[in-house]
Amino acid sequence: MQSYNNRWITIFALVLGIIMVIPIYMMVLGSLRSAEHVFDITLLPTQFQLSNYQEVVASGFLRSVGNSLFISAAVTVIAMLFHAMSGYALARLNFPGRKYIFAWMLSTLMIPLAVIMIPLFMITKNLGMANSYVGLIVPSIFNAYGVFLFRQFYLNFPKELEEAAYMEGSSIAGTFFRIVLPLSKSVIIPLTVGFFLANWNAYLWPLIINQKEQLWVVQVALANAIGGGYTIPWNFVLAASVIAALPTMLLFFLLQRQIVDGIKMSGIK
Amino acid sequence: MVSNLFSQQKRDERITAYGFLLPNMIGLAVFVFLPILYSFYVSLHDWNLLSSKVFVGFDNYIKLAQDKQWWQSLLKTLQFSLLYVPSLFICSLFLAVILHSITGRIKNVIQTLYLLPFAISSIIAAVIWMFFYDPRNGFLNQMLSAIGMEQQQFLGSTSQAMLCVVVVMLWMNVGYNMIIFLGAIKDIPADYYEASRIEGANRWQTFIHITFPLLRETSTFIFIVNIIGSFQVFDIIQVMTKGGPSSATEVSVLYIFEEAFKQLNMGYASALAFVLFLIIFIFSTIFLRKFSSN
Repeated sequence: MQSYNNRWITIFALVLGIIMVIPIYMMVLGSLRSAEHVFDITLLPTQFQLSNYQEVVASGFLRSVGNSLFISAAVTVIAMLFHAMSGYALARLNFPGRKYIFAWMLSTLMIPLAVIMIPLFMITKNLGMANSYVGLIVPSIFNAYGVFLFRQFYLNFPKELEEAAYMEGSSIAGTFFRIVLPLSKSVIIPLTVGFFLANWNAYLWPLIINQKEQLWVVQVALANAIGGGYTIPWNFVLAASVIAALPTMLLFFLLQRQIVDGIKMSGIK
Repeated sequence: MVSNLFSQQKRDERITAYGFLLPNMIGLAVFVFLPILYSFYVSLHDWNLLSSKVFVGFDNYIKLAQDKQWWQSLLKTLQFSLLYVPSLFICSLFLAVILHSITGRIKNVIQTLYLLPFAISSIIAAVIWMFFYDPRNGFLNQMLSAIGMEQQQFLGSTSQAMLCVVVVMLWMNVGYNMIIFLGAIKDIPADYYEASRIEGANRWQTFIHITFPLLRETSTFIFIVNIIGSFQVFDIIQVMTKGGPSSATEVSVLYIFEEAFKQLNMGYASALAFVLFLIIFIFSTIFLRKFSSN
C-alpha cells in the first residue's frame, strides 16, 4: 500500500517538475525558430535555425556577456579574499572592539541596495567611478553576509594546525594565507558560486551606475532588447536569453551539490 | 623577557586583526553605512541634480504623507507581498514534503527540475514569461483558445498584471525555498515518524502534528526573509510592466527609482527611500530578535 502510494507521488512530483522546466525548454526551442514560427505551440524542435544566434552575436551582444563575466569574477574573487580575512579575524583573533565591529557589520545587513540606491549612486559618482568597471565592481564587493558565513566556518576550524605553524615561527597572517585559507574550500566554493550567480544576475545597480553602452552587463543588454520597440523580435531575444543563461546553467549543472549546500547554509543558522 | 615576548605576540595579533578587517570596514562604511546617513541628509533638501541643494527641512516628508501615488505604491507593494509570500511558502513547503517522501535516484532528478528556474536571472525569467503572456500570439492565449476559453490581456490588464508577475517570481524562487525546507525536514529525527506510524497516523496527520510544528523555526525564517525581500521587488516588474498598466504594478522601489532617475527629484526620492528603509528596518529587527540567539 505504502509503496503503491509512493509511486503515484513520484509520478506526480515528476510531472510537476517537467511542467516547471517547460518555460526554459520553450525558450531554447523558440531561439531556434524563425520569426513567423516562434509562437508555434509544439514541444517538438520543428526548426533548427542557428542564424538567430549569428544575428545576436553580430549585434555585439557578446560584449555584454564579456562585461558580466569580468565584473562578476572580479567582485567574487575580491569579496572572497576580504570576507575570509574579516571572518577569520572575527572568529579567531583577539583584539579590543571585536564584538562591536561584528555587530556593526551585521547591522549593515538591514540596509538593502533598494533603499540606498540614490546616495550610493551619488557617492560612487563623486568618487569618479560612474560609467566605469570600477563603479560596477567596487560597491558590489562589500557584504556582511559573506563575512558572517566565513566567521561561522572559522569558529569550528581545528586549532591544532595554526598552533603547529606558530611553533615553527610562522606569523599570523602567513599562517592564514598559507595554511588556513587553502583548507577553507568547503565554505569558499558554495560562497563563490553564490556570489558569482548573484552578480551575474544583478540588474538594479548596473542599470543605475552605468550609461555607456560598451559597459552594459548582460542583464541590462537583455532588458534593453525587449524594452525598445513596439514589436519584439522574439526569436532574437530568446537566442540572446539562451546565451545569457548559459554560464549560470553550466555552473548549475557542474556544481549542483555545492549550490544546494550553499542554499542550506543560508537557511540553517 | 617572557612577558615581553607575550605582549609582542599580542600586539602582532591586534595589528593583523585590524589589517584583516580594514578593507571590509572601509568598504561597508563607504558603500553601505554612509549612504543610509547621506540618504537622510539628502532627504532634507530640494535637489534635482542640476541645481544646488536647497535645505527644506522635513518638507519632503510632509509631501510624501500627502502623495497619493506614494501611498498607492505602498499598497501595491503590500498587495504583491500578500499574494507572493504565502503562496511561495505553501508551494515550497508542499514540494519539500513530497520530495522528502520520494526515494532513489529519481529524487535528485526531480530536485534538479524544481531548482532549475533558480539558475536563470530574473531578467531572463521576465523575457520568457512575457513571451508566454503575449496577448496576441502567446502560448497561454493559444491554449485558452484551444479549450474554447476567452483570450486574456495578462500583463496588459490592470486586474491580472500583478498576479502574472507573482507567478513568475514564484516559478523562479520556489525551488530555492524548497531546498531550505527540505534540509530542515531531513533533520527531524526518524523516531518521531516511527511513533506516528505505530499510532496509525496518515500522511496528513503526520504532517500537521509532527512535520509542521517541528519546522517552526525554518518557517519563520522563510516567512520573514521573503517578506523583507518582497518589499524590494524591482527587476521583474521594471522589465515586464514598467509599473503599468496605469500603475497597477507600480511598487514602491519602482516609484522611488523613477522619482530619482527619471524625474531627478533626488531629495524627494531620498525621503521616500528613507521611509521604505524604516519599514524594512522594523521587519529586520524582528528577524534579528528571533534568530540572534544563535
